[in-house]
Amino acid sequence: MSRMKFFCDDNRCIECFACSVACAEAHELPTGISRRKVITLFDGIEGKEVSTSIACMHCTDAPCEQVCPVDCFYIREDGIVLHDKEKCIGCGYCLYACPFGAPQFPRDGAFGAKGAMDKCTMCAGGPLETNSEKERHLYGQNRIAEGRVPMCAAVCSTNALLVGDAESVSTIYRKRVAGRGKGA
Amino acid sequence: MKKYIVMFIAALCLASVAYAADSQIWGEMRIQNILGYGQEESWKLGPLFTMLQHKYFAWIFLGVLLGVPLVFFLHYKIVGPKVFPHSHNKHYAFNLFHRTVHQIAAVSFLVLLPTGFIIVFGDFFGGGTLVRMAKNLHGLFTIPFAIVVIPMALMWLKEALFNLEDVKWFMILGGYLSKEKQIINATQFNAGQKMWYWVAILGGITMILSGAFMFFLDFKMEMLHNITGLSQIDLLRVAAILHNVMGFAVVALFITHVYMSMFAIKGAVHSIITGYVEEEEVKILHNAWYKKLKDQGKF
Repeated sequence: MSRMKFFCDDNRCIECFACSVACAEAHELPTGISRRKVITLFDGIEGKEVSTSIACMHCTDAPCEQVCPVDCFYIREDGIVLHDKEKCIGCGYCLYACPFGAPQFPRDGAFGAKGAMDKCTMCAGGPLETNSEKERHLYGQNRIAEGRVPMCAAVCSTNALLVGDAESVSTIYRKRVAGRGKGA
Repeated sequence: MKKYIVMFIAALCLASVAYAADSQIWGEMRIQNILGYGQEESWKLGPLFTMLQHKYFAWIFLGVLLGVPLVFFLHYKIVGPKVFPHSHNKHYAFNLFHRTVHQIAAVSFLVLLPTGFIIVFGDFFGGGTLVRMAKNLHGLFTIPFAIVVIPMALMWLKEALFNLEDVKWFMILGGYLSKEKQIINATQFNAGQKMWYWVAILGGITMILSGAFMFFLDFKMEMLHNITGLSQIDLLRVAAILHNVMGFAVVALFITHVYMSMFAIKGAVHSIITGYVEEEEVKILHNAWYKKLKDQGKF
């Protein structure tokens, strides 16, 4: 079985934030939550500035899954890391474990208590019935079930954001590097 | 009127967006947070926390939860409790203030501990509503404890300072290992109680602070960042590790405290309920204090 992976080609990322905005809009995310975020390193330094888009990286040995006290994470056969919002207690342990700061918490409880964790689903929904009203409400669109690529990659105008099984993502990137003779 | 309400709500929404964008975890600080994970120069707290939480914390908690009561069960069966006559002479040692402060702390602990365990063994309880409720109660009952912890620290501080007699107490573990009633030369609090005092007070404050860090996530502590050089997410990892490790000590000593007052010394719990301590109990277990009270003519 192939494993689904995200890869952002920082030679192509033009820091347009389309992936971030499209994701938030498509999934109707609450205010303040951005599952995908564009970050820029060495901002303004000529020749060094580089931008990339990050979200949940759907790790093979996902640390969030290892630390969750209620065991609400599950990793699909295709490598997409998902979690159950109805089981989640909003303790924040997944956030402490994650190397990418992907898990986020809406402040929707009394006294500012953290709500259920929210993170990128690679547009693959959650454990509920596929494309059901409730799944859409809790996790956003399930584009993978419809055979479409995730929203962020779909709107990327420079095709910087690649998604798919690891093999084909790697093939595309290798072709690009060979073509431009640099950047690996 | 309606216009103002709309404006107010709009201002609130914008403020929350600004707050979220300014977040130390998801905003500009994100790059530092990512670099902090397992990089050469970092403390590697991300992998450390993941390893501890994944493999050890729950098992150690289970060990403490079963091991400590098991030891005391064996103690009760083999050595047995100390029984003192509670019929005659008594001394009023704990006034209403002492008792109220102690009882508020006691009730908080009686909620904080079980709810903490429900969170630790959340997968056993299946997650969802029950565990979420436990998590919220765990946070709410921190408030009464946080209110009384400083007064409690101050009211017993003088009695809880260690002295040379405590070394002797530790050598024979307070005489609790023998069936006969040895005279122990302790002051108002013996070394065991002092140990619990310091774990409850210092450990308690550590638990409150690390818990608050974990609850609020986005607290701004420039000073801590500057001193430690840690990013926000690494401070949260430190808080989570501290909260768990300190938890072992607090749980172990809390169980000891309850066992001593309820079972090991029969009826000792009444002294913090009524405020009166019993003469023979004080004479044998807290002889130095007994002599002092006797000199003052309080028995």
